[in-house]
Amino acid sequence: MNSSMEKRRAADTSEFQENLKILRQMDFFSALSIQALKVFAYLFNREMFKSGDYLFHQDDNDGIAFYILSGTAEVVRKDESGEFSLGKYGEGEFLGGLVLLGDMRRLFSLKAVTDMSCLVMTREKFIKAIEQFPELIPKVLETMVDRIRSWEERLLIDQDALCDSCRKKVGVSLV
Amino acid sequence: MRKTETAVVKRSLPSWIRSSNFKLQALLLLVILITVFARVLPLEMQKRIVNEAIRFGEIQLLFLYCGLYLAAVVIATGLKYLISALQNLIGERALADMRKALYHHILTLPLNFFRKTQPGLVISSLITELASAGNFVGMSIGVPVASILTLLAFAGYLIWLNPLLAGISLSIYPMVLILLPRLQQQANKANKRRVDTTRTLSGKIGEAISGVHEIHGNGSYRIENRRYDRMVDKLYKIRIVWNLYKFSVKSVNNFFNNLSPFLIFIVGGYLSIKGRLDLGALVAFISAQEKIYDPWKELIAFYQVYQDASVRYTRTMEYFDELPEHTLEPDDREPYELEGSIEVKDLSFQVEGGIQLLDGINLSLTPGEQLALVGFSGSGKSTLAQCVGQLYKYTGGHVLLGGEEVTDLSKKDMIHNIGFVSQTPFTFEGTIKDNILYSCAAKLGSDEISESDAMPSLDDMIEALQQTGIFVDVLRFGLNTILVYDEHQDLAAKIVRVRDHFKREFGEELADYVEFFAEDNYLYHSTIAANLIFGSPNIESFTLQNLAVNDYFLRFLDKADLTRPLLTLGAELCRQTVDILGDLPPEKVFFEQSPITADELGEYKILAVRLAKTKLHRLSPDDRTALLRLALRFVPGRHKMVGMPSILEELILEGRALFKENISKDNPGALTFYQASEYIYSQTILDNIFFGKTKIINPQAEEKIDQSIIQVLIEEDLLETIVEIGMEFQVGSKGDRLSGGQRQKLAIARVFLKAPRVLIMDEATSALDNKSQARIQSLLDTRWKGQSTLIAVVHRLDIIKKYDKIAVMKAGRIGEVGPYDDLIAKKGMLYELIYGKKASS
Repeated sequence: MNSSMEKRRAADTSEFQENLKILRQMDFFSALSIQALKVFAYLFNREMFKSGDYLFHQDDNDGIAFYILSGTAEVVRKDESGEFSLGKYGEGEFLGGLVLLGDMRRLFSLKAVTDMSCLVMTREKFIKAIEQFPELIPKVLETMVDRIRSWEERLLIDQDALCDSCRKKVGVSLV
Repeated sequence: MRKTETAVVKRSLPSWIRSSNFKLQALLLLVILITVFARVLPLEMQKRIVNEAIRFGEIQLLFLYCGLYLAAVVIATGLKYLISALQNLIGERALADMRKALYHHILTLPLNFFRKTQPGLVISSLITELASAGNFVGMSIGVPVASILTLLAFAGYLIWLNPLLAGISLSIYPMVLILLPRLQQQANKANKRRVDTTRTLSGKIGEAISGVHEIHGNGSYRIENRRYDRMVDKLYKIRIVWNLYKFSVKSVNNFFNNLSPFLIFIVGGYLSIKGRLDLGALVAFISAQEKIYDPWKELIAFYQVYQDASVRYTRTMEYFDELPEHTLEPDDREPYELEGSIEVKDLSFQVEGGIQLLDGINLSLTPGEQLALVGFSGSGKSTLAQCVGQLYKYTGGHVLLGGEEVTDLSKKDMIHNIGFVSQTPFTFEGTIKDNILYSCAAKLGSDEISESDAMPSLDDMIEALQQTGIFVDVLRFGLNTILVYDEHQDLAAKIVRVRDHFKREFGEELADYVEFFAEDNYLYHSTIAANLIFGSPNIESFTLQNLAVNDYFLRFLDKADLTRPLLTLGAELCRQTVDILGDLPPEKVFFEQSPITADELGEYKILAVRLAKTKLHRLSPDDRTALLRLALRFVPGRHKMVGMPSILEELILEGRALFKENISKDNPGALTFYQASEYIYSQTILDNIFFGKTKIINPQAEEKIDQSIIQVLIEEDLLETIVEIGMEFQVGSKGDRLSGGQRQKLAIARVFLKAPRVLIMDEATSALDNKSQARIQSLLDTRWKGQSTLIAVVHRLDIIKKYDKIAVMKAGRIGEVGPYDDLIAKKGMLYELIYGKKASS
């Protein structure tokens, strides 16, 4: 339970320090200086979601990035033909580096399939904070570019899994 | 509205003297005449004291003359004060009138005018530049009349005393009169340049401040500094020249005035030695001659004020000398009640430089029809909406609203028939209620937003809040209100009842989201202070801010073995927070979760440095207080930089019991303990309903909490009451305590309440989340369809299917118009906009 967890943490270390430890292992933040990391670790909040809760909804411009501490979430897209699942994310995954950088309407919803605990960061906070460390902006962009490139590279390597018409549409890294 | 007959910008500076209060001016003149007499009298007395009383040893005469002298001085002083008071009154009145008239005029100027005019410039014109004009009007009658009369009286007296000496001493003034105006002309030229430069400068400041996010975003401090510095340097040079000329006027004047005693000494001394002038007369002459300098100096100063004021006044009025594009109110009739049809014929709109923003637009809407304007940005869709709404004056063609040409309609006709929601709606300082009633109040023509039968009822307002989807936000504002004991006892009693109800129905369900107050549990979402005293203070010395200096409380901390652990915690909080936030600017996002406020950061930064060098027990009492204060406001659930030691938790729980025991004995009235049967006046309504604090804030938690609270409030018939309290929420200057979405919703609610026949929405839902946007769209599709004619400028293309007509704009022209399905079937411009260029080819 919530309070018992807080109690356990209370004894030894602060939430801030735990966040800091996690951030240092995330490649999105790995390029930042220690002073910037501290600010981000401070600004990340912990939130609980219950199974069935939505972390965000399709078409919303919520501007929130999530780091999953525990639990599993499912990506769901809805269109005229109905709702279908597009895959799952679990512990240790960071969703939404891109969403922090600029306005973006969600292309799908993210739904908790178990009880979840996440670190969350809003775009507003991120932008305000990164403004304080302007020298880090190129590094963040570089990380982002690299992530997009390697994402597509993985996609191309698993080409077998792609349908023919999908294969013709690859090229996110050419955007 | 009589004032608009002669536009304020056309009025001359002297016209303000004529329009000032005649009685006051007459009184002023009278007082001046007496004063002049009272100023000359002492001179004569002076002469008589020397020549008659002293010379012939007449004690009685001495007393008499001295008495008269004293009386004259006292009266003159009193009258002088009265004159200043009257001048001040006249001048300030004129200034207030000028400021009002000019402001009223400026607000009616066309939008185009404000494209090139920065707010800073308007502010400096109204506040600074007009001040000297008011000053001048106050002085305009009193000073010249008084000075000239005094001057003449003194001159006459001098001539009476000795015509020769008088002739000599007065001979300098013609020379001054020739020289001064030339110098003043130069000063005026510099002054004009100064007014212009000051205006550009204040415009520049206004621009930089309103665009400061862009400067921060680009880190363009240097560029902006350079621009600003350059202008300041220019102003600096102009001001120096201006002041030098002003001083030279004074110096020349001084020089000549000092020259005249010299002449008197030479001539008068000579005559006196030769025995042709008695000594008393010479003394009287010299002092009279000295006094003549005063009115002269005043006259010159007045001349300078006049010159300065007229330069500033003319420059200012010239700048705003433009006419409103439309009359404000119809002269001889009630405003039209127009039918909601809109006919646009061959409409064009051209701006300076011959740029054609709209060209050959034709459109026709029957009452109740709905039109969506779409197209690329820059295609003119907003401009078209603004031309129909009379915000811009079109330069060719016609817009007929209910058969009337829009250009010929007065503003009042427009607001009676049209509701306009702009892209960036403006929220004014005041309450939510003020803001949603804004349009209705303006339509009714009342100056103040007041209760009246014609105004929307509470039910209407609540409906508008619900329609625009801001109801829950307003309810939240209400729930976050802290009630005042003296005003709300009845409501407080009801809320205690709601508390029971809530606990019964939702207590278990919401246990994960709310931390309930319980005497045996540590509260992670309350301050340490609240955990200790576990009650709400009834006297000032037990409030959170004062506890750290409350002797009784400090003694209690010692007794409960808490002082040292709390100081240690405070020190840790100080160190950690300063380490994280030390170099950050005072913005809300950074300090929301910090125990140190942005204002205090500087102080605690210094303390952190001392902490690194000094042991806790060596700190000064002030430092210890600062650390204790920090520790007492520590909320482990919010301030995450430091963990809560579990041993401290235990100590505090024990301390809570001890404190209750002690204070119940020593000062039972100091606090009201948290108990389920008592309202807690130091907490918000929401926390009172919970009898606890919210633990997690995320959209899901909030939604669940809102739903349950609304259900309970409906059942207890309190929902409206709380929303009404929420509507008293102060939105802050420019609505800065609201989010962009909330501001936009308020602007829509404002217009919905007015229920106009024609509704123009210029990307009115662009800042809204998906749900709210869909809700408002479906409201337009159902409730307003057929009721109000609608022109909506739309950016998102997925919400336009249900419009009667869609007009696709490109480069100032309408490319195609028609119902959605027709246009899609045609595979023309709309199809291309939605599915992209490739798909259509």
